[in-house]
Amino acid sequence: MDQKPDEFDSQIRQHIYEVTLGRGYPPTLAETSGHFRVAVPDVKAAFERLAAGHIIVLQGDTGEILMANPFSAVPTPFLVELAEFSCYGNCIWDALGIPAILHKDARIKTACGDCGTAMEVKVVSGTVQGAVGLVHFAIPALHWWDDIVFN
Amino acid sequence: MLLFRSEEHIERWWRSWKLERGAVLTMEQAWRLAQAWYGPDRRHPGWRRKTVDETEALFAELGFTSAFWNLRQPGTT
Repeated sequence: MDQKPDEFDSQIRQHIYEVTLGRGYPPTLAETSGHFRVAVPDVKAAFERLAAGHIIVLQGDTGEILMANPFSAVPTPFLVELAEFSCYGNCIWDALGIPAILHKDARIKTACGDCGTAMEVKVVSGTVQGAVGLVHFAIPALHWWDDIVFN
Repeated sequence: MLLFRSEEHIERWWRSWKLERGAVLTMEQAWRLAQAWYGPDRRHPGWRRKTVDETEALFAELGFTSAFWNLRQPGTT
């Protein structure tokens, strides 16, 4: 790898979001390695630097991406249905972030955090419709990254 | 961050988890936050995370001014 880490990391970040915005979930280490024709350990190191910079969040043991916010690489209770594909947000904020980042209409399917009753939010033409419900942020902003998976 | 049917459900949730009541946003407020937060294109070479100053300015613009939204350790500026 001939590039400086900063330049490489920037290219990796751009690629992560290019792929994620196109299909709804982030690329794997192997996919990214293949795209850039660099060794998996080099991509893994870049993922780790991006995670240290709070750009992405990694899965605990594998080094694969868990979150390329607002998208989740794994199923969550925040299903986001778009015309092109369905995907998962990490929380209700991120679920809303998906139509926001894509500038698309969306239907968010989730459930009340307390009682589990099904809830649905629609985003149409840049506005939120049928806006029933309240969003609760449990962790003060200063501590969001203390445990981002819980948050 | 979770969605709840009402304040009553929020209160039952945080009490059952032995937490404190956090910040509560309407769907409209949450949508405006999502639009502002995720507006800049992360595919762009020049994209970077917001600084503390920028994030504070965004929160203020959205009316999030309580201590809950503070981003600085007590005693720092």
